[in-house]
Amino acid sequence: MKKYIMVTTMLAALIPGLVIAGDSPAPDNAKVYFIWPKNGATIKGGKFWARFGLRNMGIAPAGTEKKFTGHHHLIIDAELPPFDEEIPSDRNHVHYGKGYSEGRVKLPPGKHTLQLVFADHNHVPHNPPVFSKKITIYVPAN
Amino acid sequence: MGNGQARKETMKTITTSIALGALIFGGAAVAGDSPAPKNAYLYIGWPNNGEVIRKNNFRVWFGLRKMGVAPAGIEKPMTGHHHLIIDAPLPPMDEEIPADKNHIHFGKGQTETRITLPPGTHTLQLLLGDHDHVPHNPPMMSQKITVTVK
Repeated sequence: MKKYIMVTTMLAALIPGLVIAGDSPAPDNAKVYFIWPKNGATIKGGKFWARFGLRNMGIAPAGTEKKFTGHHHLIIDAELPPFDEEIPSDRNHVHYGKGYSEGRVKLPPGKHTLQLVFADHNHVPHNPPVFSKKITIYVPAN
Repeated sequence: MGNGQARKETMKTITTSIALGALIFGGAAVAGDSPAPKNAYLYIGWPNNGEVIRKNNFRVWFGLRKMGVAPAGIEKPMTGHHHLIIDAPLPPMDEEIPADKNHIHFGKGQTETRITLPPGTHTLQLLLGDHDHVPHNPPMMSQKITVTVK
């Protein structure tokens, strides 16, 4: 999966028209990242506010079509979704369609992965796709 | 120092009065028309109050909890866009927030920025504005923080 993503992103950079991604453009220097938590964090109790960073793009609620905007999606314990489809909405894919830049997360004890994907008014990732590094956090047993 | 302190206290009183006014008079409050959720919270993620910043160009993070960001011009309930007030008091709560070097608008829906400030003490405050750049009802503003740029 990682290789697929790397190749897709490289292709996206080199051959814009051919890329397997959505229709909404994103600037090349757009970035989403975790302000909190940090990779490797241990979070007692498993309840926290995940804070989403966004650079060189803006937030717009789902359904609002405006160039270089989108809304956050938090992927929990799952792989990145396909970049040319609407991001699914389930307990592993949390949508922040109201334009939130942070969200309350509650996780059971164990190791968890978190990743941010930005998507357009139709919940489809941009072109090129804007997504964060996948981070790992730990929730200790009670 | 005395003058600045007096001004701070006056601002505090005015802000509190406006907030009280909004609470007491509800519809008649000195605020805009767009509602904001009662438990929403606006804050400056970084820098922190009292921060000493050792470069004059730095990033400011805008924190907004339980309310969404939307670009200017987009009318959607319970959303707004950020305004950063630098070295100035809060503007009137029932008018369009001015746009000048002390009132920076983030009408594209940004949630962070980079600013350059000369050495010295500066105040920073966030104020959310609706699609028309008018503060909400009740107004959504962060704590006013003071930072020192070295």
